[in-house]
Amino acid sequence: MKHVDPSDLKPQPPDDPLRVAAIVIYLTLALLVLAIPQSLTNWLSDMNGNPVQEIALRGAGILRNVSQRIGVAGVYRRARDAFIAVSGVEPD
Amino acid sequence: MLFPTIEFAVFFAVVFPITWLLNDHNTWKKLFLVAASYYFYAFWRVDFTLLLFASSLLNYLAALVIGRLQSRAWRLAVLWIAVAANLGLLGYFKYYNFFVAQLINGFDAVGLKVDVGFIELPLPVAISFFTFHALSYIIDVYRRALKPTTSLLDILFYISFFPHLIAGPIVRANKFLAQTVGRRDPANIRLGQSVFLIIGGLFKKVIVANYLSTGFVDGVFRDPTAASSLDLVLGMYAYALQIYCDFSAYTDIAIGIANLLGYEFPQNFNYPYRAVSVQDFWRRWHMSLSSWLRDYLYIPLGGSKFGTFATYRNIMITMALGGLWHGASWAFLIWGALHGAALVIERALGLAGEAAAKQRGPLATAFGWLVTLQFVCLAWIFFRAPSTDAWLGYFSTMFAGARWTTTMTPFVAVIFVLGALSHVLPPRWLEALDKRYDRASLPVKVAVPFVAIYLIAIAAPGGIAPFIYFQF
Repeated sequence: MKHVDPSDLKPQPPDDPLRVAAIVIYLTLALLVLAIPQSLTNWLSDMNGNPVQEIALRGAGILRNVSQRIGVAGVYRRARDAFIAVSGVEPD
Repeated sequence: MLFPTIEFAVFFAVVFPITWLLNDHNTWKKLFLVAASYYFYAFWRVDFTLLLFASSLLNYLAALVIGRLQSRAWRLAVLWIAVAANLGLLGYFKYYNFFVAQLINGFDAVGLKVDVGFIELPLPVAISFFTFHALSYIIDVYRRALKPTTSLLDILFYISFFPHLIAGPIVRANKFLAQTVGRRDPANIRLGQSVFLIIGGLFKKVIVANYLSTGFVDGVFRDPTAASSLDLVLGMYAYALQIYCDFSAYTDIAIGIANLLGYEFPQNFNYPYRAVSVQDFWRRWHMSLSSWLRDYLYIPLGGSKFGTFATYRNIMITMALGGLWHGASWAFLIWGALHGAALVIERALGLAGEAAAKQRGPLATAFGWLVTLQFVCLAWIFFRAPSTDAWLGYFSTMFAGARWTTTMTPFVAVIFVLGALSHVLPPRWLEALDKRYDRASLPVKVAVPFVAIYLIAIAAPGGIAPFIYFQF
């Protein structure tokens, strides 16, 4: 069995801070869109009608379907309802 | 466009990559960021972007002229013209109606009628902030503390950069312009700090400030004479917490956003309700404004150089004008003057300064904290009350001690305690959290902001109120 001398190992390059920041920002946003899909749909629906909005709405609709199929959209709704019931704040 | 909205998330998701893609083409990057900042500002009102541009152009030209002139007298003359133009613009939009009302009331009191019209234009958002940015630039150029830049783009960028544009922090020209030269180093991104500033800011604004406001404070201040004394006492503390959480949230998010784009902003709050004197409070509250007032108003007035009386006078003028900067009303003026008077009393009693702080024992420090906190919270009543009748009614009902029942719900009480935690948690815990985050694996780095924002979204109120400091 060949042993590796630790001194032969090249030091790992430090993570590129810009790459890490970009991954954190976009993955966080993507996860939020998937977890609370109705927020994006509602926001897009409030905008003035234009071709970009229609395309974006179609995309948001697909995301919402995916979110509902895997069950995460319902988790947010139930958590929100539970919070409203416990806190006594005005329902949406 | 408010920070805690989907609009802003989409806006930032577009601005972030383009900014860094243009990092090796600095002029294009600045052009892009200026365009993005004007787009951000246009969300409030498109025509006020012309005002923002005119202010930037005026100060750019004034600084160039001041920089070229050799004669001190001529430089001073141009500076005064530029300062007058800046303050004239601010005065027209922000103070004109107030002074006209005082004029009419004054003449009316002696039986004379004057016919002066009011202007019916809304106050341009951020005018106080961008005017102070511009003034710091031309005054520094006049003092030869800063060379005037020949690049109009740099000045447009400095004054309009969207993270600080609406409600600060007030970034000094010399600190910011130094960052506009060449590419920004992505290694300076402090992801942990930025993530926690943004998450903390969202929590303070969306949860604490909003629920304190809508769930309790608004009701108490709407008709103070109908509230119980206990509600008025609690309302005073709740508003103190609300305004801190609201304003510090904005600047925390601004600092975090700017850092993600590669730019550094100064700290604006440092546990202000831990202050043990009013002087200490102003070293911790809206630090970028208090240092601005010190450097560009108090010191030019003579500071503490010309004897006791002149020092007290300069403090009073600085604080009264600082109060008036927040808005055109007697209440803001009184609020500023009260703080000025407190600073004068502290000086007169020998309680101000580093030496006095070092001599204080633990008991005196605790007493100083208690007195300062009560003073600051009482003074906030002037800041929040919508009219003279309202603050008169607030004080008279509160001190009458008529009823000791409360309408504060258990939920609002929990929010109050959560907001107060922002002053209880030791700073070293937050620093340790930043460091642990920076050392964490990538999935953890993503999970932390996702879970935090998800939880905030679950508990968020239906609509987000604008930040309090937008009106200034």
